[in-house]
Amino acid sequence: MRETVIDLDHVSASEGILEHVEEFSLTVRRGEAVALVGSNRSGKGLALKLCAGLWTPSSGSARVLDVDPAAASDEEVLHLRRRVGFVFAKPALISSLNVFNNVALPLRYHTTLPEAAIRDKVMACLAECGVELFHDHMPDGLTMGDGRLAALARALVMEPDILFVDEVLFGLDAEDLVCARGLLAKYRREKGLTIVVSINAPTALFALMDRLVLMRDGRLVAVRPPAEAARMDDPMVGDFFGNN
Amino acid sequence: MIAWTGRKTVEGVAYAADILFLSYLTFKELFSPVRRGRHEALRGIARQILFTGVDALPIVGALALMLGLIVIIQAGLALPEVGADAVLANVIVVALVRELGPLLTAFIVVWRSGTAICTELGNMKVGQEVDALEAMGISVVRFLVMPRMIGVVVALICLTVYFDLVAVIGGFGVAKVKLTTPFLAYVTEIAKALSTSDVLITVIKSVLFGFAIALICCHHGLAVGGSTTEVPQQASRAMLNTVAACLVLDIIVSVSFYV
Repeated sequence: MRETVIDLDHVSASEGILEHVEEFSLTVRRGEAVALVGSNRSGKGLALKLCAGLWTPSSGSARVLDVDPAAASDEEVLHLRRRVGFVFAKPALISSLNVFNNVALPLRYHTTLPEAAIRDKVMACLAECGVELFHDHMPDGLTMGDGRLAALARALVMEPDILFVDEVLFGLDAEDLVCARGLLAKYRREKGLTIVVSINAPTALFALMDRLVLMRDGRLVAVRPPAEAARMDDPMVGDFFGNN
Repeated sequence: MIAWTGRKTVEGVAYAADILFLSYLTFKELFSPVRRGRHEALRGIARQILFTGVDALPIVGALALMLGLIVIIQAGLALPEVGADAVLANVIVVALVRELGPLLTAFIVVWRSGTAICTELGNMKVGQEVDALEAMGISVVRFLVMPRMIGVVVALICLTVYFDLVAVIGGFGVAKVKLTTPFLAYVTEIAKALSTSDVLITVIKSVLFGFAIALICCHHGLAVGGSTTEVPQQASRAMLNTVAACLVLDIIVSVSFYV
């Protein structure tokens, strides 16, 4: 059996009045692809941050790559961050750096690679994400879709063990979505990448997922493979998949 | 009234503690032996020196020239009337070099760069850029605060020296139209009146003002939540608090060294 990379056990947390998660439990194994699914304010965004170790739970325990971020030392947390890639709902590219320098930033910060190697790696990653033409553009000159693909390149350039993508559909057009889906499938197949995403609408990306984690009002409703989830006898799930 | 005073005192102490904690974290990063991100930090420092120092040269120069002219012409005309023309150089050193130079340069940096730092960091918070840095394991203090602090301190020291030179020399050059004192005699008197401690204290003030401007403005920028409307509010608070902090620091240094 593959090792557990994320283990949330009866976790509760709140992010101001915006989102809350109550008694949420989830286990993700290495190489799995899992989607946290629900409407806006269902708590999936906060659950994603808890999974990534970016938010400290008020109760329950959370372990990511065998590290409890709330109890770990600064060095352990730093090591964890290097092994985890996170793409926020907004592109969140550093506005004073161009796209190339944004993607190169984690490599320059965390590795001792020479500049030539960084250049090759960054350009290859940008090409995979389909945004290599914008390498010298500043973030404010990009569309939301291109910005998010550049943010995806920044998250993948460190070759993380787990990739988290918040609101994976946000700002992507059909072409961007095909590119993102192909890229995630390739990384999963070739590098065994574990993928956890949050989604607020039905999408072709479900075909890539092993399990859907259905959420409502901060609580876990069910965990099912996509085909089974679509057939669930639940009004919220029925609304979500357009069965009602 | 008592409750209000108590509440404000507690808020003030908590605010000062936040600034001191940010200072501690910044100095910890500054003296950290870790080489991680040094290249990016140096780029940040160079960028900050360019924006705060080099770009401010015209406005600082113009203000120094006008202020120097006013002080020199007023002192140069009024002092001989009371038979005190021998102390002209001392008055200029006390007024321009010791006090007005460091303080007015600091105010210009607060208005130009302090608000810019606060607004930039505030917008970065709103755009989740700060969250992204944390998610990548990049220290926000090392990447954002420390380079700004070093950049502002270096730029402020240079700008203050530049302000003093333009005010004392340039101001006299313009005021010469009305004054009869020869230039060489004026410079000799100024050099005599200016002690090493004056220069040292001016530099100390610039360093302290630089720390205060950078840290307070970074603190307010990073205190922005998720809303764009908070950015101008925090920038306004940062400007007022930084000006107040510079005045308090100026009084403390002046009283400590001159009284």
